[in-house]
Amino acid sequence: MSDLLLVVFDLVLLVGLLGVAWRCLASTDLFRAVVLFITFGLLLALAWVRLEAPDIALAEAAIGAGITGALLLVTLERLRSIVVERRRGQPDEPPDPAGADALLHALHDPPPPRRTFVPALTFALVVGGLMVTALWHQPDAVGLEPVVDEHMDVSGVDHPITAVLLNFRAYDTFLELAIVLIALLGAWSLGRYDRLPARPAPGPILPGTLRLLVPVAIVTGVYILWAGSHAPGGAFQAGAILGAAGILLVLARPRDLPMAPSSPLRLGLAAGVALFLAIGIVGLLIGPGLLGYPPAWAYPLIIVIEVAATLSIALTLVALFIAGRPAGDDR
Amino acid sequence: MIANTLTVILILAGLVFFAAGTAGLLRFPDVYSRLHALTKADNVGLGLVILGLMLQAGGPADILKLFLIWVLVLAAGTTAAHMVAQRTWTHGEFESDR
Repeated sequence: MSDLLLVVFDLVLLVGLLGVAWRCLASTDLFRAVVLFITFGLLLALAWVRLEAPDIALAEAAIGAGITGALLLVTLERLRSIVVERRRGQPDEPPDPAGADALLHALHDPPPPRRTFVPALTFALVVGGLMVTALWHQPDAVGLEPVVDEHMDVSGVDHPITAVLLNFRAYDTFLELAIVLIALLGAWSLGRYDRLPARPAPGPILPGTLRLLVPVAIVTGVYILWAGSHAPGGAFQAGAILGAAGILLVLARPRDLPMAPSSPLRLGLAAGVALFLAIGIVGLLIGPGLLGYPPAWAYPLIIVIEVAATLSIALTLVALFIAGRPAGDDR
Repeated sequence: MIANTLTVILILAGLVFFAAGTAGLLRFPDVYSRLHALTKADNVGLGLVILGLMLQAGGPADILKLFLIWVLVLAAGTTAAHMVAQRTWTHGEFESDR
């Protein structure tokens, strides 16, 4: 009975995922598409829970649905203000379809009617075919689980996911951290700090609620970071929660946002990557190889890296939300 | 047995509130009445579901966590609803891209 119910639940979840994804892609209204994207992220997190992957579920809910949703919304708001400004200049002139603003107008106006389904159909057939083939030839192997279990005692932590992410496959995690940093450098190279177009909510309600929620978010973030060594959790999830608290603070008082001093901010942003790389190079010099740790030191080193990574991820996410590099920084 | 029955009744009652809230969100004519339907119904609905789950909890720590979830959702949901209403009050109904 309960098995049947679970199957029904899974089927409803699957249909919901596909339906929301389709509506999100097919929507010509960007705001609706963003909201549907957030909905999709939450449903996806639920799917990861059903697949018994709570680590990924946490990351998907916090980063995929929460932070990415906030980034998309603020991008949309900026695009809107740009479009409104440009339209004010030439009110009656129809937009030049090949002009410099074509992309902006394309984002704002409904797209031209579709002429042919051939490219989409070809793409769907190729990707679908590849996926079916991949599933068809699934090997019977149990994967890398026994190998990981065998080496848990030298990993320095008790949670296999953290052992893989921060020890056995530390290289991947290092590159992920580097990508987050590079994304911020890309955003900074495009523009200087300017005020958020998001309108601050008047009244005491939002700041009052944040006084309640931000301490809770900090405690939760630190707990998730700490839990990573023996249970689902870790630097990315903790960083996303702390980053979300930062974004809420930015939204509550965008007018008098104190700018972080430049050098400590940069140190904080780079701390994760820098420390990870430094420890990795030391590992290369003293024996265990690049990004390897001596087993006796694995636990403290992993904790140090995770703390630095959490700080960097949280700061980077807030900085990405603000988007521009700090003012008065053009030396 | 009694706990299980109570849980089922409470969660079903909660789902009724969720369904009513969703129907209100879809059917009501303007932002304010939609918010009214959504927040009131969801808060009570979630409260009932949480109450039902508390009866199945393993210990006081779990009960406290469930209660905390409810309080946090209440605070966040109320604030979000207030901000949507505030923005509608000052800027008018949300104007779509199309």
